[in-house]
Amino acid sequence: MIIIGEKINATLNAVKTIILNRDTKSLLDLTQKQAAAGADYIDVNVGTGVGSREDEIQSIIWAVESIQGQITTPLCIDSADPKVIATGLEILNGKPSMINSAKAEKHNLETVVPLVAEHDSFLVALAMDEDGIANTVDGRLRSCEKILDACETYGVAIENVFIDPLVMPISTDINSGLVTLETISAIKKSFPGAKTVTGLSNVSYGLPRRSRLNIAFLHMCIFAGLDAAIVDPLDEELMAAVKTGEVLAGRDRHCRRYMRAFRK
Amino acid sequence: MSTSELLEKIAFNVIQGRVEAEDDGFDPGLEGRPAVTELVTEALDQNIDPKKILMQSLTESMETVGDKFEKNEYLIPDMLASAECVGVAMDLLAPHLIMAGVKSKGKFVIATVKGDLHDIGKNILAIMLKGAGYDVVDLGTDVSMDRILNAVKEHEATFLGLSALLTTTMREMEDVIQQLKAKGLRDNVKVFIGGAPTSNDFAVQIGADAYCKDAFQALDILKEIKRSP
Repeated sequence: MIIIGEKINATLNAVKTIILNRDTKSLLDLTQKQAAAGADYIDVNVGTGVGSREDEIQSIIWAVESIQGQITTPLCIDSADPKVIATGLEILNGKPSMINSAKAEKHNLETVVPLVAEHDSFLVALAMDEDGIANTVDGRLRSCEKILDACETYGVAIENVFIDPLVMPISTDINSGLVTLETISAIKKSFPGAKTVTGLSNVSYGLPRRSRLNIAFLHMCIFAGLDAAIVDPLDEELMAAVKTGEVLAGRDRHCRRYMRAFRK
Repeated sequence: MSTSELLEKIAFNVIQGRVEAEDDGFDPGLEGRPAVTELVTEALDQNIDPKKILMQSLTESMETVGDKFEKNEYLIPDMLASAECVGVAMDLLAPHLIMAGVKSKGKFVIATVKGDLHDIGKNILAIMLKGAGYDVVDLGTDVSMDRILNAVKEHEATFLGLSALLTTTMREMEDVIQQLKAKGLRDNVKVFIGGAPTSNDFAVQIGADAYCKDAFQALDILKEIKRSP
């Protein structure tokens, strides 16, 4: 399982403050802790919702310049604005990277997918289109098709694409979890080579004891074929659940990683 | 069963969130007992005034649900289960209310603004408004300004509810209000706004009539308006 550390996200109040104050020390601290906890990528989202597009561009320049060179863990540039993504990738200048995200909207794909090709990056693509998030597996697969068609057009290998089947709260629709799980299986079956990624904690929104549900859901997603997860790597219970899920699903040869983590 | 007993039972089951007899409720052990569908059908068979069913069994019980939600005793699924009961009951009652000549309290156009797909709160409000006797025109999510303006005009709406969950989309509300003014529609319609990033200050700033923390507050504000028009 590829772990994408989610903690540098401007929608979290503490992180918003770090970004607005240009607090490089705290930013690096948050980065290093996640890398040490086993993150394979560090997600960087600096969209504070304060100020203009230009402010977000200045913030991504600051964040990427501050982090790069300090750790070897690659960054995942996270923004709804392709211009912000392009800026982040230019600074990385060919270093390994991931883009978060594109969606199956014509204009969005035409802007973001070429960036993936140009920078030989990886792409997180959301299974949604102009009409929003479909509540059926078929609807979400249609979005996946549009995304993968665009990737082919611009010469992005299917293996570099991580599709997010998207997770909606079960508290408002009891079938939400099932649709995500079935979409993961369907993506793996319909688009061989394509990878899957998801944030998963949205599933438990509005319910008590969320971490219990998140862990159970992670296990089910692993069984369905999930390749990567956008999570808090400092959450020890969840990181342990990655190991228990993978070993049970036959994705940990001779139980090596499980034993390394839990052997006495 | 007497009329008052029946009305009370319907209210109890709305609060329990039980649509049909087989449904589980908030409390354990209710499965198999008649629920909202069966009880409302029985009440209509007994020719109980549909307006009484609406006011005493639905509107009042949803107020109780609102209180429980405010106190964190009820969570989102509890509230949605109750709202579903109101929706089902209203479908059964609607033809009878029309026959009885019960007038709607007003037309309420409701939408999640352009660029935004979040609709949990909006959907709850839509059901609650129906249960409170309003005529609801729900335009859905990611609704363009033109569609909102056209709906307000076409339906001669008394109220307009705008929802947004993103800091990037909440600005759209201000544009809608400006356009209502430009088209001369602003004076005929009261504009309610809601959604996580919005606030009372924001409502004042963009010239909305009211900010609603949640669906229940929207209903409270409507009651205030009725009292002091």
